[in-house]
Amino acid sequence: MIRQPNSILGNRQLLVTMGKKGELFGFFYPGRDFAQHLEESQSCLYDGHRLIWSNDHEWHVSQRYFENTNIVNTELVHPCGLKMHIRDFIHTDQPIMVRNYSITSHGGFHGKFFYYSNFKIGEMQKKNSAFCDHDAGMLVQYWKDYHIGISSRPVFEEWQIGKALDTIWWTNAKYDMEDGELQNNREDIGNINNAIGWKLDIDAGSTAEITIFISAASTRLSLYGRIRDIRNQTMENMLNETQESGIKWLSRKTLLELKDLPGFESVRLELMEAFNRSLLTLSILNDPVRGSFVAAPEFDHDFEKSGGYGYCWNRDSSEIVIALLNAGYPEYCERFFRWCKKTQLPDGSWFQRYWLDGNAGSSWGNFSHSTQIDETGSTLFAMESYYSSLEPVLKREFLDRIWATVLSAAEYLMRRTPEGMHEPCICLWETYSGIFTYTNAAIYGGLVGAAQMAKDYNEMDLASRWLERAELIKQQTIKQLWLPEEGYFARGIAHNGRIDKDIDASILGTFVPFNMLSADDENERAMIHSMIGNIESRLRVRVNDHFGIKRYEDDTYIDGNPWVVTTLWLSKAMLSLAGSIKGVNDGTEKNEEWKIMTTEALEYIRWSLRGTTSAGMLPEQVNKHTGRPAWAIPLCWSCALMLENIVLLDGLK
Amino acid sequence: MVRDLCMFSKADEEAEVIWFRVAYRNTVHSEADITSLFAEKGLDMRFAYLDSLEDPSRGKYVIFTEVEKGKDVSSIVKELEELDVVLNVEFGISRNQVMQAVDFPLSLFGERAIILRARTFVDILKILNEHVQQAEGIQMLTGIKSGTIAVKLLREIININENNCFDLLKELFMAAGWGILEYDIDIHSLKGTITTRDCFISDSYKESEVPVCAYVSGFFAGFISEVTKRAVRVRESQCLTTGHISCEHIVSPAPEGTKIEHVLRRELD
Repeated sequence: MIRQPNSILGNRQLLVTMGKKGELFGFFYPGRDFAQHLEESQSCLYDGHRLIWSNDHEWHVSQRYFENTNIVNTELVHPCGLKMHIRDFIHTDQPIMVRNYSITSHGGFHGKFFYYSNFKIGEMQKKNSAFCDHDAGMLVQYWKDYHIGISSRPVFEEWQIGKALDTIWWTNAKYDMEDGELQNNREDIGNINNAIGWKLDIDAGSTAEITIFISAASTRLSLYGRIRDIRNQTMENMLNETQESGIKWLSRKTLLELKDLPGFESVRLELMEAFNRSLLTLSILNDPVRGSFVAAPEFDHDFEKSGGYGYCWNRDSSEIVIALLNAGYPEYCERFFRWCKKTQLPDGSWFQRYWLDGNAGSSWGNFSHSTQIDETGSTLFAMESYYSSLEPVLKREFLDRIWATVLSAAEYLMRRTPEGMHEPCICLWETYSGIFTYTNAAIYGGLVGAAQMAKDYNEMDLASRWLERAELIKQQTIKQLWLPEEGYFARGIAHNGRIDKDIDASILGTFVPFNMLSADDENERAMIHSMIGNIESRLRVRVNDHFGIKRYEDDTYIDGNPWVVTTLWLSKAMLSLAGSIKGVNDGTEKNEEWKIMTTEALEYIRWSLRGTTSAGMLPEQVNKHTGRPAWAIPLCWSCALMLENIVLLDGLK
Repeated sequence: MVRDLCMFSKADEEAEVIWFRVAYRNTVHSEADITSLFAEKGLDMRFAYLDSLEDPSRGKYVIFTEVEKGKDVSSIVKELEELDVVLNVEFGISRNQVMQAVDFPLSLFGERAIILRARTFVDILKILNEHVQQAEGIQMLTGIKSGTIAVKLLREIININENNCFDLLKELFMAAGWGILEYDIDIHSLKGTITTRDCFISDSYKESEVPVCAYVSGFFAGFISEVTKRAVRVRESQCLTTGHISCEHIVSPAPEGTKIEHVLRRELD
């Protein structure tokens, strides 16, 4: 079932996605991509007559992160006078989610508090097994070496484990809750669900507090150990540690000033928050051991409306690690490129997408004509960006480690561009087959980067060959795909040989990030301006009091909404243009251009911020009708572009 | 139950279907007065329904007539409005419509309802059975929910209890077009059987290796459990689709703490 989260939490072993009413949508352990262990997990109150689920429509809700931390506060207010405050966080060191509930009622409440879960341990709905060890205060469900345990403070008083979807329906924990009494069945197998419960008596004005721990482990023994340990820790200590850990990690970031932005004084705080939230989000969605990132927490597990997002794409991750590098976190580059070294295919390319452990992801890019060559270009381009940021000694060490990978990848790009432009493949959006401006730009960027590293590695012949090819690609792309009358690059050449003149925001890749066009060259600068103008006039969609940029004309994927990535891509191009202007305070035309570019870029950035969830998660898209965040939430690529935009903005003088 | 819809095919190309919706004050002669006027004016009544259940002081009479094309009915409407018992008249002319629906949306027990062919329902079940794990469980749980809600809705109009619930279930089953039901159940022990003839599921499903009416079993379980406030187990033991002349559902109290191994070991039989 497709459910888009409003917030996420995680640590080194755990990733949890939550809805805006504090209901859990995903519980990933031990990887960010696999395994996702639950269908449903949320609280419920019983008032003596009926169940009041925490995701009922009657609740008024607000959900936010506690500033600069990975602690989520969810406030639920019910018309009957009930208030539920949930503080959710993940233990700093252990794969344990802590859910602290404070419940008040202005008229008093006498009933039950239930916590219901429908787990599918190991992504298996069948063959699961669960038991309640009430002496140990724990309910455990397991399949093979995945164990999930629920315990609580105070210890739950009643429980039920039953068949989730069977004809012996009266054992079903969800049904069992309806009369306000649980049957205390101690164990069951198959497709099962569970509930735990407490008697809840709240006098008017008083507060009841219940804390639930959801922990994961590979063995029953370690699960018991973890639960025992956490019960000995106080809530305040755990909260403080979580808070400190977030603040400490953020203290390493590039110091931002973000001052003197005319007309945008009020945005500074918003930008700071977005910067921090993007950093924290990316840290959660990264595999801290292997270095890979999921594009977004998986939410379309059955590929009902898309191909899924819980995989690592080299294109996205290359941009993410460079954004993190520029934000002050170079270690993500190091780990990701180690992962790239391991996952590179024998022909030198990278696969369409991977599981985070490096296994090939489910893919529609299994052939040379259906692969995405741009991903190999992006990877090389990012490697060189990282390499050029290193101190000389570290440069040498990095190059020694990565040279074979660079060589193999660059030669792959050479083989795929015998005539200058690349051989037919699939576009970056995984929509069209053919030859593409964006892909050519990515290959250009990759070869130029590889040539730079080859020079330093004293491989001058290779460097010359690769640079020569890069130059040929640039010439051919401009010659064949630049539309001089219209003033933009065609998307590419379709598989039938026809020039595809539809405008596609990805043509910005010729400027940012791949620098095929230079802002320092007058002609090329004019081309960049012209592209920007065309994209603005033909791809912008009015929503949330400004314009977002959709991917391309006649985009039908998820209703053709404007995307945060393409919008921030455009603003990044504008900020890069502004940043390339020298002498902006001389009162000339250039000064005017600087003002226009920065002002417009800021408007697009602000538009992107208006499209976040209430908790500040940047989505892939913004619904063009409602202005609300749409589809993949949060999307790492959107976060990376937000970081890049803010760093660029901060660098403007 | 109020039938809120009329559907029929217009056979005569030279005629038009004109519908009237007459709101009237409810007296013993109100419907007769209205019908007499239609007869006097030579309007050929082809289908009609009336309803004064919701508010005994008022009624609604919906009449579909077939008249020659171009006939002016405004004078008839005026005369209708002048009748003592009539409160309001609405009418409309159907132009080449095959299906007529005056009241929208269709309502059942005050809730939105639709009309579905039995075959469509069975198509859904067949797709579930073919592609979805534990499809029988899904159907049963859906049935339980439907049966439970049916009792809650019935409670709003009638005192439903252990003494009359099976008679009401029987009436409901037939009125909904689901089939003809017989029961033999001891209400105290909650043990017995329900037999259905011409059940809409098995009748449309045709043939199967196993019984297919889990939705109906679930409906019975939900219905009886909601009335008696005791968890009831209902299993289909015989089915039209497996070659029996009718479907049979065994009713028994739900055993406490039942686990699948108990069922497999037949410890509950």
